[in-house]
This record gives sequence, structure tokens and C-alpha cells, in this order.
Amino acid sequence: MTESINRNKRQLTWALYILAAVALLLFMGDQLAGKKAARIVQTLISGVLVGGVYGLVALGIVVINKASGVFNFAHGWMMVVGGMIFWSFFTVSEISVAGASLLAAATMLMMLTTASYRNLLERRNLLIAAGGTVGLTALMTVGGIEWRWLHALTGTVAGAILTGLAVERFTIRPLIGQPLFTAVLMTLAVAEVLHGVTQIAWGTVELDLPIFVDPQTNSRFKPIRLDAFREALDGLAIIRVELVIAFVLALLAFVGFILFFRYTSVGLAMRATSEDQQLAQSVGLRVRVILAITWAAAAFLASIAGVLQGGAVGLSLNISFVALRVFPAVLLGGLESVTGALVGGIIIGIVEQFGTLINSSQQVGANLAPYVVLMLVLVIRPEGLFGEKRIERI
Amino acid sequence: MKKLGILLALALVIGGALPGLAQDMMDYPSDLTACEVDLTGETINIFHFGDLSGPYAFITQPIVSAVTDAVSYWNSRGGVCGAELAQIYEDTGGSREAAQSAYDRFTSTYSDELDLLLLYSSDDGELLREQLAEDEIVSYISAGSIESLYGEDGQTPGWLYASNPLYINQFGSFCQFVAASPEVFPDPVIGFVTWPNAFGRAGTEPAAREYCGGLGVEVLADPQFFLPTDTDILTQVQNAIDAGANIIYTNSLATGPALIAGTLVDLGLEEEIKLAGVNWVMDTTVGLIGQRVLKPNGLPSVDGMFGSMPFLWWTELSNPAVQFVYQQFTLNERGPAEQNIAYLLSWGVVDAIIETTLRTVNRMGSLNAVTGADIRDTVAAMDYEVLGGLYHQYFEESMRDGVLNRIAVLKFANTTMTGPAAGPEDALLIDNPAGGKLFVPIVVPLTDFMEVPQLRG
Repeated sequence: MTESINRNKRQLTWALYILAAVALLLFMGDQLAGKKAARIVQTLISGVLVGGVYGLVALGIVVINKASGVFNFAHGWMMVVGGMIFWSFFTVSEISVAGASLLAAATMLMMLTTASYRNLLERRNLLIAAGGTVGLTALMTVGGIEWRWLHALTGTVAGAILTGLAVERFTIRPLIGQPLFTAVLMTLAVAEVLHGVTQIAWGTVELDLPIFVDPQTNSRFKPIRLDAFREALDGLAIIRVELVIAFVLALLAFVGFILFFRYTSVGLAMRATSEDQQLAQSVGLRVRVILAITWAAAAFLASIAGVLQGGAVGLSLNISFVALRVFPAVLLGGLESVTGALVGGIIIGIVEQFGTLINSSQQVGANLAPYVVLMLVLVIRPEGLFGEKRIERI
Repeated sequence: MKKLGILLALALVIGGALPGLAQDMMDYPSDLTACEVDLTGETINIFHFGDLSGPYAFITQPIVSAVTDAVSYWNSRGGVCGAELAQIYEDTGGSREAAQSAYDRFTSTYSDELDLLLLYSSDDGELLREQLAEDEIVSYISAGSIESLYGEDGQTPGWLYASNPLYINQFGSFCQFVAASPEVFPDPVIGFVTWPNAFGRAGTEPAAREYCGGLGVEVLADPQFFLPTDTDILTQVQNAIDAGANIIYTNSLATGPALIAGTLVDLGLEEEIKLAGVNWVMDTTVGLIGQRVLKPNGLPSVDGMFGSMPFLWWTELSNPAVQFVYQQFTLNERGPAEQNIAYLLSWGVVDAIIETTLRTVNRMGSLNAVTGADIRDTVAAMDYEVLGGLYHQYFEESMRDGVLNRIAVLKFANTTMTGPAAGPEDALLIDNPAGGKLFVPIVVPLTDFMEVPQLRG
């Protein structure tokens, strides 16, 4: 008997999971049977829109993993830092020229020295850095508060590049050649450092980030009410405009990154680097520079997600926890897959919302459902829905 | 810059009701026990730790500011009976492990001095309840869960003393208010939409349902939970409404109540469904964050939200305690986000710690002779108007939480600052340096202080 179980262990495990999946579907069907169509449609809309933002956060984690194999636990705190930098430029009427210059100069300096500190010795490079500093400073400080979108976007891009490059230069680069696990642990340390820096720089209180505000009424955009379908759905469903904007921005970011990875030389180099850093270096790819660009790109994605999340619910240290909720999406989609990040995010968003619809009192949506789905998928496809199957020849 | 701008605007608004206040230094409002022992050369440490950077940061961060201001107030006046005041605190970020570690560090480093500790959250209270009893350390906390104050059986008073009533008792007093106001709450059915931690779950116990049911107020059995990071809680709110709720009650703070209020406006149910909550929903942060969404009548989404108010509020400026704290807040140039419950109550807690220490020292003859058990005896005998009336501290033998509460409503000031605005046209609006205007939140008490029902079973 024991021998027979051992021999058919894999099949038995499969059978158990299939049984669990069928039971889950039957349970869900039963639970949803009594719900109005409007509730189901509403839950689906909310799930997709929230999932889009999850996907954007997941994309930042995937980009790092794709290029370096590192799972970045600091991504949530990079979101907070990006959001806070945006807030600093967006809500301040008179921006300090000295502060903006410092940010611009630091960013340019980090960019200039990405490949080597020897670049500082070339006059041409210094001129480029000086010109870049002046240009960035001008963009961050020109005009009054009516130019705040320009100030905030420029400041956030500069801040994200600086954050990403600094993290890579001072924490990840020294670990090249060390076991991957060391770098993963380093990201945990980076998370704590960013946590501390954020507290010191911006405090811990909630900050209002009024980006989704109708300038006519000075209040949040009114939701789109699906009144035309009220009768058909036996109730009202609504679509929140700020979530639609966040979703569209997330989609644009996805398209951009898919094109970037597929059609640009840097994107192809990133993919090569992720396969084998030593091999990539041996064929002339500048692995250091590629990793630096990757971290800057991830920090930029984190900043976008931080701004969108902050605009939707307010900026606080809590938004770092969104990254924790996104981990199932990353694993579900596949650690190296850009498409997987989006699909995983949306699936987790929908599963969370339906879990909540069925049983919010036990937190089925937030705590249980995403992980059940994740387990089921990983059993069937351990590499995730869109992950790459690795075959190692011995 | 934005913070400063709002501070100046709010200070201008509230200060307008207090002519001459900023110029004349007020006397300390509390009638402290006279010194019978000279404490010159001694230090009275105010020990506290808790979540200053995690989910409760919106509320707790001003605790440090208030204690800092109170310490410098006393030290600039020669201290308390000659003793210098100092604060020793740690941020635990909302982590149980960090709270335990802070407790271990405090008790090992200050084993001789640590007899009285200020805690912030029910979670920390539950974690440390048994250890405080074992180490004989009294703890003041603003509000605690049943388990933290009375143990798992709800019948074993410990060493933690909460100035506010238990959350479940606050909920009970809200039910009393609902039952007594049928014109506002016809056929009341309350559904919880709340955070999923110890604080958020308080009040969802069967005892509360039974009590409220006895008053004719139905409470839905299944609470709806959401997380502080959630951007969309339509599903939770609609679940509660579908189950029959016409009142939504929440134990959440800052973005929590604002998110629920905004969702009700999105659904067009802001008049049909009433919103209420625990004392923290009345905080300034909610009034400011809740302005992101306006009702069809032009007022912020949180206008008209009910809540507990077991202490005085910033706007009750006729009271010397509030006047005094307001003056100190202004003199210390504190930011608008700090003009909240924590800043106000922390001045009260420091006053309560000073009074507790003085009474104990007078009895024991020296500061060094004081033990946690002595402090506990003092607390048991205290019947004290904290800071001259900010709240009342009196714990009967088996009681570990406050017994007085009142129900209030969050409104927005009218242009003459004489009451709440009926609409945007007569609402007081101040410039928001980030663009646009801001409504000025005020809290309007609807009842007198009354004893809360005891629902812990």
C-alpha cells in the first residue's frame, strides 16, 4: 500500500489538487448564485482595475529579476520614496533651487559614473553633466505652482534614477559574483534603509496627493455610473476614474517594457545578462551598466506605482505593503515574464475581489484566495503561467 | 511647506476664537498634588513605545511631539518638584517582535526605574499583558481591547489602564444613541466595515450584538474587513448594504473612514447610509483626507459622520485644558497633521503620569522607593480630572477602562465659526497651499458625557 502510494505520489497529489479546485469552483458557484449581476460585474471591474496596479508593481519586481535574478524585497519602499518625491514637488509652491540642483547634480553624477568613475576625468562628460544639471534644475523649478506637473514628473524621474542607481552601485554591485541569496538579503537591508530615510525626510503622517482631482470642483473625479445597465444588471455598477487612469498608465508601461525588451539593444542585453552574467560579459556586454539601467528602470516603475497608489488612497508608509500583496502575482505570472506580471496582477486582483465578495468577514479575499490560486497554478506549472521552463544539461 | 500653510490657516481660524490667547501665557490647568518631597537632582522618565511608523503612524506620530513639548514645558519651569522630566521611547513600526524587543530592552536597561509605561495599541497591550503583571509595571494606554485589559476570559483585570472606554463599550453607547434617535435612524441595522486587526475587530463580539439587539438595533453578524492599503472597498461596502445595513460602523482611522465615506458617495448612498465609528474616526486627519470626495451637496464626504468622543476636543476652547494645549501647540509651532487626538491626549497622559508619580512619591517618601505595586495602589485610589478636565481618570477596583463617553458628529465650520456649515456656500474655506481650498473640520458633541454599557461579558 505504502509502496503504491509512493509510486503514484505525483498522480495522487494532482488528483488532490484537482479535487480541491473542483470543490472551490463548486463552492464559488454556490456562493455567487445568490448575488445580483451588478455585484458580480462590479467585482470583476474592481478586480481588473486594482489588478492592473498590482501588475505595475509586479512588473518592477520582474524587471529586476529578469536582468539579475534578484528578488527585490525593497520594491515597496522604492514605491514610497518615489511617491514622496513626487509629493514634494507637486504640493510645494516654491521649490528650493538649491535642493533641486542638488538632486539634479547627484543624478547626473551617478549616471555619468555608471560605467566607471574615470569618466569624471573627461572634460566632455563633465560638460554634459553640468548641462544636464542645469536643464533638470530648470525643469524642476521653472514657473509657479501651475507648472507643478512638470516639476513633479521631472523630480520623480530624477529621484527614481538616483535611487535605482544608488541602490545598484552601493549595495548590489559589490555583490556581483557572490551567491544570489546574498543579494536578495541585501534588498531586505535596503528596504529597511529606505524605510528609515523616508521617515526622516517626510515623517510618518498621511500626506494628501491630489492628482486625481477635477480642477473644476477640486474634488476627486466622479465615478462613471453605469446607469444605462442598471435594469439589465439589477443594480448599479460604477467605474472609478482614478483606477481607470492607473490601469491605463499601467498598460502603457507594460507595452513600453515589452517593446523595450524585445526591440532595443539594451533590452536584449538585459535579457542576455539575466541568462548568464559571466557569459554576457565575455561577449562584450557591459553587465554593470546593464544592471544599473535595470535598477533605475525598476525604481521608475516603483515611483509610478507609488504615485498612483498615493493618489488613490493617500501617501503613507503603508503603501510599501502593497508590494507584499503583489508577490503572489509575480510568482503566478512567472518571475521573468513581463506579460506574466500583468496577467498575474489582474488574476490576483480579480481573485481577491471575488474572495471578498464571497466572504469578507474571514478575509478570504486578501489572505486565502490568492494563495490557493497560486498553489494550484504552481503545482501545474512550477515556473508560473508565463515563466520560462529551465532545462539544465548535466 | 504645505503642512506649514495649513497649520497657519487652521491656527488662524481657531485662534480667531481665542483673542489674546497667544499673547498671555496660561497657567497650568491641572490641580496637581503639592510636593511633599524635594526631588531636585532626580529624573522622572516618561517611558513609551509603540507603532510610530506603521499602520497607526497617522495617529501616533504626534505622541512624541506632545511629550517633547510637555517635557520642555516642565523643565523650563524647574521641573516637577525639582525633578527633571525626560522621555525614553522607541518606534516598533507596528511589529509584535519589535514591541517585545523594546519591552525587553526597557525592562533590562531601566529595571529600577520602569514602574509606569505608556503603550499605544491594543495589539501591544495583548502581547505584554502577562509580562506587565509579572514585572509589576503599570501601563497607561488610551484605549485597549478586552483581552489586553481584562484577559482572555474578560474577567481578569491586569496592569493596563485605558483612559477611553473599551471599543466594545463605545459601540454599545453608540447603539444607545441610535436607539434614542429613531428620527435619524429608523429601523437601524448596523454593519461593520473595519480593519482586520485586534482594534478593528473590537465591537464585533456577540455580546455587543446581543446588547444592541436588546435596544432594537440589529447588528449584522459578519463584519466586512479591509486593509489600510486597499484602494477599492466597493465590494465590502456593498456586501454590508446587501446584508441590510443602513448604518456602517468602522474601527479604522485616517484613510479608513474616508475611504468608506467616499465609497458611499460613489454609490450615491451618502444620505441613505449613515457612517459611524470609534473615537479615532473623529480625528483631524479624517476631516482633511475626507475632503478628496465631495457629496452632491458640496460638503466633504465625511460630513455628518458619527463617532465617540470620550474626551474634550480641540474646538471646545472654553475649557482651560484645551486652551492650554492649544497654546502650547501654537508656541511650539507644531504642524497641522499633529493637531490630532494623540497630541491632545498625550498632554493629558503626561499630566496623569506626573500626578500618579507625585502621589506615590509623597506616600513612599522618595522616588527611588517607588515600585510598580505602589503606582498601582495610587492609580486604584485616584479620582482625577486630567489636565483640569481633558478627561476623567477613575478606575473602580475591577475596572481598567474609562466609563464615560459621548457621541459626536464630524462637521465642517461655517464662515462665522459659530457652528457647522449647512452647505458649501456658508462653509469656511481656507487656502490650500497645494492649490484649491480646504474645509475646516469641527467636532460637534451630540450628547453629554454618559456612562457606557459594560459589554465585555
